[in-house]
Amino acid sequence: METADLTHHISRRFNEDLERVRSKVLAMGGFVEQQLQKAITALVEGDSTLGEAVAMDDYQVNNMEVSIDEECSRILATRAPAAGDLRVIVAIIKTITDLERIGDEGEKVGYIASRLATMERPADKYREIKHLGRVVSDMVHDSLDAFARMDVEAALRVARQDRLVDEEYESIQRQCITFMMEDPRTIRRALDVMWVVRALERIGDHAKNIGEYVIYMVYGKDIRHTSLDDVERELRESFGGPPPSAPTAF
Amino acid sequence: MALATHAWWLAILRLLGTVVTGVVLGWLFGHVWAGLAAVLALHLLWQLATLFRLDWWVRHRSYAAPPNLGGSWGEIVAQVMRLHRRKRFHKQRYIQLVRQIQRSTAALPDGVVILNAQREIVWFNRTASTLLGLRGHDDFGLRIDNLLRQPEFGRYLQEAQYDVPLVIRAKVAPETHLSLQVVPYGEGQQLLLVRDVSRQVRLEAMRKDFVANASHELRSPLTVVSGYLETLGQDPALDPELRAPVGEMRRQTERMTSIIRDLLALSRLEESDAVVEEQPIDVSALMAMLRKDVLARAEHPRDINIRIDSPAQLRGSESEVHSAFSNLVDNAAKYTPPQGSIEMRWWTDDGGAHFSVTDTGIGIQAEHIPRLTERFYRADPGRSRATGGSGLGLAIVKHVLQRHAALLEIRSAVGSGSTFTCHFPAHRVVTEHEELREVV
Repeated sequence: METADLTHHISRRFNEDLERVRSKVLAMGGFVEQQLQKAITALVEGDSTLGEAVAMDDYQVNNMEVSIDEECSRILATRAPAAGDLRVIVAIIKTITDLERIGDEGEKVGYIASRLATMERPADKYREIKHLGRVVSDMVHDSLDAFARMDVEAALRVARQDRLVDEEYESIQRQCITFMMEDPRTIRRALDVMWVVRALERIGDHAKNIGEYVIYMVYGKDIRHTSLDDVERELRESFGGPPPSAPTAF
Repeated sequence: MALATHAWWLAILRLLGTVVTGVVLGWLFGHVWAGLAAVLALHLLWQLATLFRLDWWVRHRSYAAPPNLGGSWGEIVAQVMRLHRRKRFHKQRYIQLVRQIQRSTAALPDGVVILNAQREIVWFNRTASTLLGLRGHDDFGLRIDNLLRQPEFGRYLQEAQYDVPLVIRAKVAPETHLSLQVVPYGEGQQLLLVRDVSRQVRLEAMRKDFVANASHELRSPLTVVSGYLETLGQDPALDPELRAPVGEMRRQTERMTSIIRDLLALSRLEESDAVVEEQPIDVSALMAMLRKDVLARAEHPRDINIRIDSPAQLRGSESEVHSAFSNLVDNAAKYTPPQGSIEMRWWTDDGGAHFSVTDTGIGIQAEHIPRLTERFYRADPGRSRATGGSGLGLAIVKHVLQRHAALLEIRSAVGSGSTFTCHFPAHRVVTEHEELREVV
């Protein structure tokens, strides 16, 4: 599919440009994934140096976003892409915004982790956060995989996973409130934990957004603010289920 | 060949026969040329019909039995058939070969991914798909760094230093460590080898932990023993016959203490690959301090010179650099006779900063030099033990230099002395004020 479609563009350079910018997005995604993982590890293992390192490295994510953004503007200006190619560029511009936000949330988690490392650790050693962190970082990973493969099914799966994250967010929140009521001395820590959980929940939302851009990129359908079941039904009706080869430029 | 010529002769005879028949018929009817033309036209038609049948057969049913065309046409059909059969035979053989190769690569315990010049996935085996989370035919044609997004892997591909494998954490199972190695071959093609090295990584971690814990645990009992030995040695009531053995025991416990200290230092250095704390180090002050340390030894070489050709400072961890340099100077002092000399030198050039220690000692035989930085490696076991070293000094030097991206160069000639030089890269040099000093 890939090699056959390469002849699809008259200009080979255009294809190379698109492919390069797409790879840059995925490289940025890889870095963000690692940041997130480090932040969670820093929190769970109480490693303040690692937490600080994560917070320090966030500027790299911002730099990547700016550079990809510029490249997209250049492609828009010089190549004036249409149809599928235009969708790819639009989806990339949106994806990097979400990735940058994930980076920011990761930075927040890292910063709080370095602060929590100096406090007494709870008996469960942040097991819930560890689990939620695992789910969320898997979501980010899967959404980027879906982006790389143009895989609509996987993108939908990521979007569905978001409900689980929301449920877990609620339950940890309730737990924190109970802790605070039982022992006011834990309020400071519990508030920090709430911030972390909130950040993780937001990261889940951003991962879901990236999945939605994948669907937009492949089908040209905007599925934001629509319920998932509706989306799935509509996709099946209009396209007879996800096609074996996505109509993309790659 | 004989058959083919035979067929061609027949064809020529047939043509001649046709011509003669045409002429005879034409002569009988009184129009020789018309007769000839009519017969030739018929002949041409027949040839065209045969040609059409041949074409149809080749196009549509070349696997079916050939039409019976006879004569030279039949010969051509037979040749085509033979070519066909040979091609089919070879094709089958190649398909079988490719299948065998694919089956054997698929059965390899290591993961294999074939990449083209654009780093797009061409093929991978089953192990690679489980270890890296690649999916069946979906991932063919995708760029490998789009799926393996770990920043370390991107850097590894960019730097293209493929002689050392890269160890990363697998995404599919967080506790799994994978070793990735790229092997370029053919025209821009690359082979990515993937191995599960979790076991090795775990064993290595266990080894490091063991060494660190064991040294730590040994330290406390040793402190007690050496404390008692010290009191005992100073006791005036001690039997004079026991004085020498007690003294020897004290020396040996001191040596054990220094070995344990060095082991602990090494395991601390091994904990991470990069220097955490970084500050400018005043190398000239450090060298003056090292000189004082050597002069404080009971027995030391006569001349200890310091030559500073650059005011530049070094960026790094002061305690680590101090222990590396002091190990080098200590070694020089140990192996240089009292009438010899030691020179420490610090200079910078385009390649970076350099620190060297030159002595006029006993020298090292060339075959020992590559192994000197191994732990407990001794060029001359008898002599080294007598001088009381831990056998870990140069290993510490090597680790410290590695963490500062520096290289150790050893030059030596037996009998005339050795030079140990540390080469620091340019980005570790801090230049602030210009002044040239020479301290002797």
